Amino acid sequence: MLLLQLLVDGAVSGCAVGVVAITFAYVYATTGVFHVAHAGLFTLGGYIAWWLSGQGLPFPLALMGAVAVGAAVGAVMQKAIYETLMKRRASPLVQLIASLGLLAILQNLVALLFTPNMLQFEAVSWRLSMLDIGPIHLSLPQIWTLASSLAILAGLVLFSTRTILGKRIRAVSSNRALAEITRLRPFDVYVVVVAIASGLVAVPSVFIGVDQAMQPYTSVLVLLTAVIAVIAGGIGSLPGAFIISVVLAVLQNLVLALMPGRWSIAFTFMLFIVFILIKPTGLFQTRLKRAS
Amino acid sequence: MTLRVDTIQAGYGDRSIVGGISFEIAPGQIMALFGHNGAGKSTTLRALLGLIPISEGSIWLDGQRIDGLSVSDRIERGLRLLPEGRGVFPDLTIEENLAVVAAANRNAGASGITPAEIYDLFPILVEKRRALAGGMSGGQQQMLAFGLALLGSPRCVLLEEPSVGLQPDLVEQLFAHFRQICTERQISAILIEHKITSALKIVDDVLILNNGRPVFHESCDVTRNTDIWKYF
Repeated sequence: MLLLQLLVDGAVSGCAVGVVAITFAYVYATTGVFHVAHAGLFTLGGYIAWWLSGQGLPFPLALMGAVAVGAAVGAVMQKAIYETLMKRRASPLVQLIASLGLLAILQNLVALLFTPNMLQFEAVSWRLSMLDIGPIHLSLPQIWTLASSLAILAGLVLFSTRTILGKRIRAVSSNRALAEITRLRPFDVYVVVVAIASGLVAVPSVFIGVDQAMQPYTSVLVLLTAVIAVIAGGIGSLPGAFIISVVLAVLQNLVLALMPGRWSIAFTFMLFIVFILIKPTGLFQTRLKRAS
Repeated sequence: MTLRVDTIQAGYGDRSIVGGISFEIAPGQIMALFGHNGAGKSTTLRALLGLIPISEGSIWLDGQRIDGLSVSDRIERGLRLLPEGRGVFPDLTIEENLAVVAAANRNAGASGITPAEIYDLFPILVEKRRALAGGMSGGQQQMLAFGLALLGSPRCVLLEEPSVGLQPDLVEQLFAHFRQICTERQISAILIEHKITSALKIVDDVLILNNGRPVFHESCDVTRNTDIWKYF
């Protein structure tokens, strides 16, 4: 029974990591920026919702507020920082360093504005409600995490394959030079992509925050797991990155049953190294070679 | 639409690659741009589209000066480029390729070229419309690339080595199609092509560059009766 509970808990947190992974992959595949500041946006989302709900706003509005603020901050980041660097033909390394800087700024800003200590969503009454499905205990926030993450995955896949804006984003990521001369306006597309990713990543951040608690600096570990999932899943495959995220989180949790908790991160990395050695292109890589 | 280029000079950074280039192309006319490797043909096209700045001279499209405009604004005015070998979005289906570019180049009120007309032009694309562009043969990709360059309301199309990777009979066929579209729709064009004989069948004028300078500029008829190889 413990194993089953660990498995389910792992799958739930895996879905949250999955959203971080697919939104990170979305930005990376389109803009080419290794956007580590995404972890800072993940942090920010939870705190904005916490603050809004503390001001007496109903939870759904607080959640929407967090999504909107996340999208806006992401858009400004892309427009003001990444776009400037891209236009100056900065190398990927320079962009990564800029992103690390943005991450540090965001995390410290959150610690400064709120608190560097643990925070709980005191204003959200249902955070401790439990649901028993057979032998498995799930909290209401866990169920929301699961449902919202799956909805985001399905929504993002549908958006990118069915809508003209989604196709345009894929076109820009497929051939940027051609996108420029066919008037797809890559720089505008980048702003939209980072805004979408930054808004969506606030959702799991808020539900995880409600379920557990928040601290400004813990999101880096979430991003790390997400990045491993993106690489293992194959950059460019959203469902691939999502599935690997769930698998990784489940394995991390199951390892808890066998060895002390501090080994679970080490285990993740070991798995990652095995992956890189055996299948460096990722499990779900479907991308075709560019026309030569 | 008339494209007029007046003594332009362009290059990368401080290094100028081409200079002293002037020509004019009337609506429906095609000019071939020949020259050895590194003669500055592609640089010239890039400068016309605004992908690199010009340091001297001016570019006019139908009486309006365009050399100060952004790439996007020049495309909106009808300038198009078919880039060498990279003219499709490989990770999208044919249908998606055409839909995305058509949506971004739809001019209000103008009777532009639609995806349906591209399908008429290249029927093989209809059959494969749900296939990923990157998985098609070189010839089919090139047809799609042609299609993407023609969508909307092109006024002047710049073609960079369109025959690369194509079978010879396909080249002639594609060129004949293109000649017909240009004449019917009064589109002007510049053609960079190493298959000189095929190109000479459809162009009106020939401009030859050597080390970034124009060395020969004559009508197609004169060119046919000239030993042009000494200009390369």
